[in-house]
Amino acid sequence: MKKKSLWFIVLLFTFSIFIAGCSDDEKTTSKESKEDGKVDGEITVWVHPYTSDAKKEEDMWKEIVANYNKDFPDVKVNIETIPWANRDQKVLTALAANNGPDVFYAIPDQMPQYADAGMLLELDPYLKDSDLDGFVESSLVSTTWKGKKYGLPILQEAYTFFYNLDVVKAIGEDPSKLPTTWEEFEAWAAKAKEKDFYALSYAGGGSMNGTIYPWIWQAGGDVVTEDNKVLINSADSVKAFEMVNNLYKNKYIPEDSITASNQNELWFGGKIMAVLGSGIDITMLQKEGKFDFAIAPPLKDKKQLTYGTTGMFVVPSNSDNPDAAAEFVKAVTNTDNQRIFNTVTQYIPTQEAAKDIFASNEYMNQLSGYTQYALPGVIHPKGRAIMPFIQAEVQSMMAGEKTPKEAADAAAKKIEAELAKP
Amino acid sequence: MDKVIEKNTKVPLLHEQKVKAPLLKRIKDEWKKNALVYIILIPILIHFLIFQVFPFVYSFFLTFLHYRIIGTSEFVGLQNWKQLFQDEIAWKSIWNTILFSFYYIVPTMAIGLILALVIKSGIRFTKFFKGIFFLPVVTSFVVVAGIWEWLFSGTESGFINYLLSFLGIDTQLFLSDSSQALIVLAGLSIFKVSGSTMIYYFAGLQSIPKDMYEAAKIDGASAFKQFWMITFPLLKPIHFYVLIITTIGSFQIFDSAFLLTNGGPNFSTSTIVYYLYTIGFTNLNFSYAAVLSYVLFVIILIVSLIQRKYFGNDQSIY
Repeated sequence: MKKKSLWFIVLLFTFSIFIAGCSDDEKTTSKESKEDGKVDGEITVWVHPYTSDAKKEEDMWKEIVANYNKDFPDVKVNIETIPWANRDQKVLTALAANNGPDVFYAIPDQMPQYADAGMLLELDPYLKDSDLDGFVESSLVSTTWKGKKYGLPILQEAYTFFYNLDVVKAIGEDPSKLPTTWEEFEAWAAKAKEKDFYALSYAGGGSMNGTIYPWIWQAGGDVVTEDNKVLINSADSVKAFEMVNNLYKNKYIPEDSITASNQNELWFGGKIMAVLGSGIDITMLQKEGKFDFAIAPPLKDKKQLTYGTTGMFVVPSNSDNPDAAAEFVKAVTNTDNQRIFNTVTQYIPTQEAAKDIFASNEYMNQLSGYTQYALPGVIHPKGRAIMPFIQAEVQSMMAGEKTPKEAADAAAKKIEAELAKP
Repeated sequence: MDKVIEKNTKVPLLHEQKVKAPLLKRIKDEWKKNALVYIILIPILIHFLIFQVFPFVYSFFLTFLHYRIIGTSEFVGLQNWKQLFQDEIAWKSIWNTILFSFYYIVPTMAIGLILALVIKSGIRFTKFFKGIFFLPVVTSFVVVAGIWEWLFSGTESGFINYLLSFLGIDTQLFLSDSSQALIVLAGLSIFKVSGSTMIYYFAGLQSIPKDMYEAAKIDGASAFKQFWMITFPLLKPIHFYVLIITTIGSFQIFDSAFLLTNGGPNFSTSTIVYYLYTIGFTNLNFSYAAVLSYVLFVIILIVSLIQRKYFGNDQSIY
C-alpha cells in the first residue's frame, strides 16, 4: 500500500516535469518575430581562445565591440569565451535548451551539418551584394550551403609544407628549390630516409583534412560532392591512397602515423624533414627557435590544392535577436575588424584588403598568398560522419590489411551507406 | 526470523487492502508517521527525478524520434532500433568494450589488492607509498593520458620502445596497432584506477580481526596460506563491491579512446560510449545515440544482476 502511493507520487513528479519541459518549448518559439526594425537589445557571442593570451584577446574583443557599437549603440554585446574542448557539445546542448548564443564561431564541417538541420539563420536577407565584394573567393565556399549564405568568414588558413632546413642541408638539397610536385617530394623523401630522417609527419589519428584529403584533392579526386556523388574511389582519389601507403611502407612517415595525434616531439627534435603546417606552426617554430625553416607552396599533382580551414561567425535560427546578431556578424568580419582580429590571432584575413597586416611579416605574407588554393574540407552535412569510416579504411590500408584500391572501395561503400541513412 | 514475521503480517494487510481508507487519509496518516523522513528525502528525490529519472525516461522516448535539436522532431517508430542490428561498428564497439573489461577488471582488482597488502605489510614510509600509489587517481585523466601516450609512442624513440630495444624486442606500434591499442588503453585505465581499488582493499584489510591471524600462526600456517585462507575470503564483500565498480567503469570507458586513439585504428578502440558520443555529438544523431545508451544500460544491468546472483549473495560472513 505504501509502495503504491509512493509510485503515484513518483509518476506525478515525472509527469509534471515532462509537462514543464514541453511548455518551455512553446514559450520560446513565440518570441522569434520581432519586427520593429530597430536594432537594439542584447546579444551573446560565443568565441574561443584563439591564442594563449587571454588578456590581449579580451582587449581585442572590447575594441571590436566598440566598433560595432558605433553603428548600433543600443545593442549590448556579451562576449563569452568558450574553451575549444567539447565545443560542439556545448553549442548543441545550449541551442537545444534554447539558451544558446546569438552568434557563435563555426568551422566548415559544422556549417553544412547545422544548416542542413535548420539550425542556422540564413544571412542573405541581411546582405547587400557589395557586402561580399572584399572577401577572398575561396573563403566564401564554406559559408555557403545550397546557394544560401549562413555565415561570414573571419579567418582562413592555408596548410602547406614547412621544411626543416637543417634536414634539407643534411640530405644535400637546395633550400631555395623546395619540391613543388609529388615526384620531387618523393625523391627528397627517399633521400631523407637514407639519412635516417622521416620525410613528413602524418597525424593519422587526427582529422583527415590534415592527412589524406589534401593528397586526394591534389590528385584531382574528391571525397563526396554536394549532390551525394561519392568520388573517394575514383581513379584519381585512389592515387592519393597509394601515395599515403607508399609514404608509410617506405617509412617516410613515422611508424605511429596510423593513430598519432601529433608528432611534434619528432618534428621539434629535428627528426622530420617537413610537416604540413600553417600560421600556428610559424609561431611555434619561432618560439622554439631550434632550427631554420622554409615554407613551400602547396604541392601540385593534377591540381595545386591544399587544406585550409575557414573560421566563420554564424547565427542560430533560434536567436532571440537575429537582427542585431546578423549585423554583428557583418561588423566583425569587415575589413577593419578583421585587421584587429587577425593581427592578434595571426590567422589570415578573409578580406583581401586586410591582408596588409602581414606586409612586414615575411612568413605570414607568403602563407596568405596560398589561401586561394585552400579547400575548407568536405562541405557536406555528413562530412564529419563519414570521416571515421575513411580514417578506419586508411588505417587498415596502412596496417597492410587492405590494398589502396580495396581501402578506397570499402570507404566508398561505407560513405554510401552513411549517406543513405536519414 | 525476519521472514517469519513478514509472513505473519501479510494476511491482515491483504485483508485491509479490500477496505481501503480514502487516499487523502492514507497520505495524511503516512505523513504523520514519517513526516521527518519525507522532509529530508524530498529535496534529494526532486534532484533525483530531474537529473536521473527524467533524462532516463526522456531518452527512451527519444529513441522513437528523429530528434532535431532545433525545430520539430518526427516520430519514426522502431527505425532507430532496427538500425542497431545492421550497424557493424556498434557491435564491434560492444565487443571492444567487453574485451576491454576482460583486460581491465581482474588486473585492476589484483593490483589494487597487492598495493593494499604492500601498505598493510608495515613497510617503512607507508604514508609516502600510499600517496604515491594514489597519485594517478587524483591526477587529471588528460595529464595521465598524455604521459601514457608519450610512454607508448609507437616510434623507435618512444620510451617503452627504447626500453624494449635493450631486450632485443623490435619497435612496437602500440596505439597504432589494432591488436595492441586496446590493451595499451586498458593499461592506462589500470594505472589510473588501481590506486582507488587499493584504498577499498586497504579499508577491507583493516577490518579483518587480528586474532584470526594469531590463531593461524599458532596453527603454523605460512604467510601464503594465511593470505589464501583468511585474507582473500574475508575480503569477499570488498571484492564484490570493487568488481561492480570496476565493471561499470569498464563499460563506461570513454576518455582514453577519445584522448589517445579517436577509436582507431580501424575502430579497434571504439568503445560503446565513445561510439555513442560520436553518433550524438559528431553525427548529431541523438536518437540513435539514445538507442546505444540503452544498449549500454541493458548490458550493465545484466552484468550487475549476474554478479549479484553469483558473487553477492552471502555477505553474512561478518
